[in-house]
Amino acid sequence: MRLTDTIRRAGRSLRQAKARTLLTSLAIGVGAFTITLALAAGEGGRQYAGEIISSNTDVRELFVQPKQDNMTDPTKPREFVEGPSMTFGGGFSQQMLSTKDIKTLESIENVTEVVPIYNASALYVTREGQKKFQAGLEPHNSSMRSEVLAGTTDHVGNNQVILPSAFADVLGLPDGEAAIGKTVQVVMENAVTGQRKTYTLQVSAVVKSSVISAIGSTTLQVSRDTVANMYSFAMAGTPMADAYVGAGVRAKDEASVEGVKKAIEDKGFLAQTAEDLMGFLFQFINVLMGILIGFGALAVLTSVFGIINTQYISVLERTQQIGLMKALGMRRRDVGRLFKFEAAWIGFLGGALGSGAALLAGTLANPWISDTLSLGESRLLIFQPWSFAVIIGGLMFVAVVSGILPSRKAAKLDPIEALRTE
Amino acid sequence: MIEVKNITKTYGKKQNAFTALDNVSLSIPQGTSVAILGKSGSGKSTLMHAMSGLDRPEKGEVIVDGENILKLKQKAVDRFRAQKIGFIFQSFFVQGNESVYDNVSLPLEIAGVSRSKRKTRVEAALAAVELSDKIKNKAKNLSGGQKQRLAIARAIANEPAIIFADEPTGNLDSVTGEKVEQLLFGYNKEKGVTLIIVTHDADLAAKCDMVVNIKDGKIESIQQESRTVTAKAVRRPSRKVQ
Repeated sequence: MRLTDTIRRAGRSLRQAKARTLLTSLAIGVGAFTITLALAAGEGGRQYAGEIISSNTDVRELFVQPKQDNMTDPTKPREFVEGPSMTFGGGFSQQMLSTKDIKTLESIENVTEVVPIYNASALYVTREGQKKFQAGLEPHNSSMRSEVLAGTTDHVGNNQVILPSAFADVLGLPDGEAAIGKTVQVVMENAVTGQRKTYTLQVSAVVKSSVISAIGSTTLQVSRDTVANMYSFAMAGTPMADAYVGAGVRAKDEASVEGVKKAIEDKGFLAQTAEDLMGFLFQFINVLMGILIGFGALAVLTSVFGIINTQYISVLERTQQIGLMKALGMRRRDVGRLFKFEAAWIGFLGGALGSGAALLAGTLANPWISDTLSLGESRLLIFQPWSFAVIIGGLMFVAVVSGILPSRKAAKLDPIEALRTE
Repeated sequence: MIEVKNITKTYGKKQNAFTALDNVSLSIPQGTSVAILGKSGSGKSTLMHAMSGLDRPEKGEVIVDGENILKLKQKAVDRFRAQKIGFIFQSFFVQGNESVYDNVSLPLEIAGVSRSKRKTRVEAALAAVELSDKIKNKAKNLSGGQKQRLAIARAIANEPAIIFADEPTGNLDSVTGEKVEQLLFGYNKEKGVTLIIVTHDADLAAKCDMVVNIKDGKIESIQQESRTVTAKAVRRPSRKVQ
């Protein structure tokens, strides 16, 4: 029997049991739907993360930390290492960079700038006649992307601040450009003496608070000098005064980044390039996508039993037809193929229905998702043509594999026995 | 030419063994109409199955056109059936959900006939059984007689050398049965096709050139017309074929 004839006959048999075919394929469709969305979300996430990273980080920038002995067994005591460290409960501590380390980093060839990371928090931020609010502090980085509502984020002078819109609201600042030039008070407290110092900062810009933006909604951006100043005031007298969780190291140019990384590691520090950090983020997205795909695969697995069951029933129902075909000289292989092709059609239908529905639902939901997560023009679900081909092809394969048992039963039927049934 | 030599077929094992065919031999010249006459359980169906390659007796030989089909591999037996044999069954076995066209097309597809050739052959076969006007109908909408005519069209579509008919008129009333008989014998004489009818109906058997009486797995007698049957020439005055 010719292949095309077998495929056509298989399709026709399915059309004769429309409801059953549809229901069986819908079961696979659920899996196809989930997997399609997972792939789309993964791609969207990767693209969005790529966008954030490329606009928020400088490829010349490296993140440097002291080497941590994280590799040791957490059930065993860890050896004491001299030098500044941050202590957590439970006897764990994290090594920190000292001022001397910063100097060492600065001395490395091709390094143009070393900026320690200040782990600074304001005691509170307020305005006259307003409540007090907690706030984090970050040095301003002009390459960071944020949606500017008023003012400009190009530059922050000393004693100036960029406020997230949420702070502008609660601190009673007027909307729009009128907020620019108004002042807020940031109060710092020394960790040892409890002495407080108030910094009066001028609002230079208001940016939109966003769930996903790189700078948190509760973080104020100030100039590098200002944050350094605040940090040293708050930490004066503590072992943390001249210690930093890490430092940003800027290489001379893109080509020298790897060399600098190597040099830093040779000095006994951990260095991560922007690429390394990106890799971590992508890994995270991939894991999430993997979990979603896992759920889809589970649905597909369930539907496999559906296909087997349906095809078994189909073989039983069509005993006579199979017997006739075999009596007329149809080869075992062709009978088996007929049923495998039927299964393949079911897989195709399920894959097409599921991924089609996912495309439709995703396209409709995309603007809403972007709106809810404040993603702006970016889309979280990005459908790629190849993913449909892979999903449909994969499901057809899965369907054929699940059709093997029933098709073998059909192929083995004895025509004499089959035609005796009346 | 079909030669059956000493075939024995047993079902079951040891104490329960049942001999369906016991050392059966016969010879059927090409173009003959043969009736295998016997009661149910006599072994007539088993004989048909053995001669058509559906069943394999454990002993003996079935030689069709000089080839022992019992020695062939399954694949070759399937090809033999697809190319040389047509089947007609008591309960028609037409596929109700499929169109008349697709029913007739099935054996041609199995034999690997190309699509364009299939069309002409299907149309010719349906014309021969006067069902051309039903070509697009679903088979389940046909009457019993029409279904059996459809089955005949299916059996002759691939121009077989041998047609096996298992109680072809068993499910039909006498008038439609008559029509089906006429078609079968007509085709047999016209094309020189060997027609083997398995039946318990002595009247139907009497219309054949050769009657093989079978009982308890053994051939009791073979009645054959005195003239040597050399295919097409034979035509009885009693049976008019349109």
